[in-house]
Amino acid sequence: MALRGALDKAALWSRINSPWLVHFNSGSCNGCDIEILATLAPRYDLERFGVKLQGSPRHADVLICTGPVTRLARERLLRTYEQMPAPKFVIAVGSCSITGGAFHGCYNIVGDIGDVIPVDVYVPGCPPRPEAIIDGVVQLLTKLRASIARPGGAS
Amino acid sequence: MSPEADFLRISESVGPWVSGSRTAGHRLDMDTSAERLVPAVTAFKNLSWGYLSAITGLDSGTVEPSDGHIEVLYHFCRGPAVVTFRVKVPRGDPSVPSIGAPVPPAVLFERELAETMGVRVTGLPDGKRQFLSDDWPENVYPLRKDFTLESAAATGEPAPAVGSGEEPGTFIIPIGPQHPALKEPGHFELTVDGEIVTHASIRLGYVHRGIEKGAEDRSWVHNIYLMERICGICSHIHATAYVLGVESLAGVAAPPRAQAVRTVFCEMERIHSHLLWLGVAAHEAGFDTLFMYSWRDRETIMDLLEELSGNRVNYSVNLLGGVKYDVDTKAADSVRRGLDFLERRTKHYMKIVTSDESFLRRTRGVGAITYDQANLLGTVGPTARASGVSRDLRHEAPYLAYRDFPIRPVLDSRCDLAARFVVRINELFESYRMVREILDRMPAGELAVPAPRKVQEGEVISRVEAPRGELFYYLRSTGGVKPDRVKVRTPSLCNWAAVLSVAVGHKLADIPMILVGIDPCFSCNDRSITLRRRGSRSLENWSWEDLRAYGISYYAGGAT
Amino acid sequence: MSVVLALVALVIFPGGLFVIFGSLAYEYVDRKLVARFQNRVGPRWFQPLADLVKLLVKEEIVPAGVNRGLFNGLPLVALAASLTAALYVPMAGLAPAWGFRGDLVVTVYLMMMMTLCLGLAGANTQDRFSLIGSTRALTQLFSYEAPFLLALLGPSIAAGTWRISEVNGYAREHLWMIVTQPLGFLVALIGLMGKLELPPFDAPEAETEIVSGALTEYSGRGLAFFRLGRDVELLVGLTLISAFYLGGLANPVHFILKTLGLLFVTAGLQSLFARLRIDQTVGLWWRAGAVLALVQLLVLIVLKILGVRL
Repeated sequence: MALRGALDKAALWSRINSPWLVHFNSGSCNGCDIEILATLAPRYDLERFGVKLQGSPRHADVLICTGPVTRLARERLLRTYEQMPAPKFVIAVGSCSITGGAFHGCYNIVGDIGDVIPVDVYVPGCPPRPEAIIDGVVQLLTKLRASIARPGGAS
Repeated sequence: MSPEADFLRISESVGPWVSGSRTAGHRLDMDTSAERLVPAVTAFKNLSWGYLSAITGLDSGTVEPSDGHIEVLYHFCRGPAVVTFRVKVPRGDPSVPSIGAPVPPAVLFERELAETMGVRVTGLPDGKRQFLSDDWPENVYPLRKDFTLESAAATGEPAPAVGSGEEPGTFIIPIGPQHPALKEPGHFELTVDGEIVTHASIRLGYVHRGIEKGAEDRSWVHNIYLMERICGICSHIHATAYVLGVESLAGVAAPPRAQAVRTVFCEMERIHSHLLWLGVAAHEAGFDTLFMYSWRDRETIMDLLEELSGNRVNYSVNLLGGVKYDVDTKAADSVRRGLDFLERRTKHYMKIVTSDESFLRRTRGVGAITYDQANLLGTVGPTARASGVSRDLRHEAPYLAYRDFPIRPVLDSRCDLAARFVVRINELFESYRMVREILDRMPAGELAVPAPRKVQEGEVISRVEAPRGELFYYLRSTGGVKPDRVKVRTPSLCNWAAVLSVAVGHKLADIPMILVGIDPCFSCNDRSITLRRRGSRSLENWSWEDLRAYGISYYAGGAT
Repeated sequence: MSVVLALVALVIFPGGLFVIFGSLAYEYVDRKLVARFQNRVGPRWFQPLADLVKLLVKEEIVPAGVNRGLFNGLPLVALAASLTAALYVPMAGLAPAWGFRGDLVVTVYLMMMMTLCLGLAGANTQDRFSLIGSTRALTQLFSYEAPFLLALLGPSIAAGTWRISEVNGYAREHLWMIVTQPLGFLVALIGLMGKLELPPFDAPEAETEIVSGALTEYSGRGLAFFRLGRDVELLVGLTLISAFYLGGLANPVHFILKTLGLLFVTAGLQSLFARLRIDQTVGLWWRAGAVLALVQLLVLIVLKILGVRL
């Protein structure tokens, strides 16, 4: 049992320290996406936290998504999420991803990313600053550390 | 030639097919009918005047006792002048012929019209939806006045193809999938024969949010904040185009200092946009060090924008009637220092894109759009200027402070991808110069004048030069607090036709660079590609990352 | 007793665990250097270990339609080959755990297994790059592996032996062969970087990510083993090149200094573009690299025949 516990702790430690991201834009204006990319640039440098941006959902642990989920993007968002191996988590960035933001009420959007896939952390802002996005990532990792988040996403 | 002389010439040529015409300033509007539209446009096209800039649909709503009508406007532009053909068709059975024969780039605009306004465009080739999702119900047209959200509930089944089923004409349509049997909607569909691309088409609609309709539900002021968020990279220019249009309708003139401040923000936005593009384009080619450095340098302009407005993105400077923020001396000094730093760095980048062999191998001679192609296919912005087509609204139709602070358009005659890099970097230098000049000679005065809540009846066309090219806004008011119609045509929509037709004949490995060369204004990392290989019956699905990695490995290790 | 010693050598030191943790350390140094060149802070020291453990505990998704035996086996073979190669080189500056006449050829062959496995993994997948991907991997084999081998033959001829430990000994006695055989050194270093696909055509953090389509199908353990195998190969390659060209490895201090020095150079080459980057097409490198190496060899053979002491 002690070995089991130690292995679990090691697994948790590795997940907290090596969160690989895959990014998905579900119809946003690009504002949030640019700020997400900016966090990889030298000034904010997410690699310090072990974050790597992956091209394929199969290599990722965390889905970082933006946008109010347009109807066409909805299915692709779902498929991207399904392609990720467990354990997986979701960070929704930007006001659009929470309520539709400035586009609330427009005909082609779903609005809340949480209506499509389970979301672990919402980062509000239009767009949120890179510091806020990093804070969102850190909050996710803190949740992990406190083992509140169950693998699969819902909290 | 002055617009009046041009308009006279045009009126005479298309006279037989036009029932009425009006001129107002730089606008010529001519009424015609669905039957006479194509000959009218063909005669107009023979004059080689201007390019098709946008097609607007207007729904009158039900007007007793008849069912009302839908009016379709075809806007052709040259410099500041706009020539519009107007066709009214009954709402019960709206149908116009496609003008794709004389004007090939019209096809994309006509599809948008067909899908969102429900006008049947005869002669459009078959194809799946471009703008609305595949599960959007049939016969529900969001831009119609009687549209309700409930009617748009998804049907769960993919819709049949849009189009009248008639054979296409002899022109080449690069937009729209040719194979209705496709199951996977990819952003791009490429057909390859070995390594060479034989067909390329695009599927838009992923970022289609329904903003034009949403604008009809929001007041004139509220809409500023909506238009800003059409694009996070060029948010200010969108808001500016909108606000200039509304001010024109309302008969309000923003004071000179406000115009100057708006111009400063426009140019600073151009700077951040071009630097962003430089990094992204470098990343596509695999030069991540250049991506990192250019984005690090870009933080300088982001800091400056934040110092001036309080936000890095979505600066929200515009009010109806002026601006919210001023540029004081302290801020102006920060800006000057920042620009000095950026200018030094930009000189370094210019050296790289013009002399680094490995970079040139991916850009020189690649994706060449000839002058004639650029002209005929209606390209705009730096993409057009890199092919020698001198289209720059800041120069041809000065707005804001560009009359007092003229811009020098940056042209290049080499027409290829390398030229597009050089043009954008030279535009950076030009923007640095502009901002400095305006800061030095900023007109004194107030920042805003009052603007009415209700805007008087009328319609207006507002065109500005966004970082990617001409941005077209059509606004219509029926005298209320909310607009009757807002039509937005973004610059990238004009450039797809050219770039996709040029992609044919290139190697698959060149496609990422060619596509990114027009600085497309949609999301960066999730474009997907559907690949069809000659002789293969199945379709491959690639992510953008796959295509990018393919291009990089092709040039760095695999090519012979 | 010797069996126990052999097992220790195999699993703990200087093979097995030592090599694994050593390569993780070298991956860290490489990523940190590249980050610094790009003006960033870069990863923490335990990052490669965290990445490895995380991948090992992650769910592995096996794509439909692939040969499962090959899918699961190839990463293991690749890792095993790299680890075995480590046993024949002067790891940590000590004598190689094993050696025999001709072990140079075997070692280079073992290092080639990695690329071969990648090529097969690419061919195993049902879509994506499929045939083109594995063809590319195999052409990579010819373009970088062959010159790499030729470049290592140079010191071998000078030393008059095919045994790595003897070449190492020879290198310690004589003038650094980077001076007497500069072409060979250049070809060997570039060949190694090419084999590992280090020159920058990579993901945003400039972290080395193999570009041949094979790895997109792997998610958990398989990805972990391939990545680890590449790291081990980096360590082994650096050890070989410093042993042969940088005056041999006599003790751990030499080892640290010389291999880290080489790593610094490769990190620099990875980050700089413009004039210093040497990414050639396969055709060009195959011709230029192999020709250079052959020229170097010819010069050596002629000098040897003439009895000139090198």
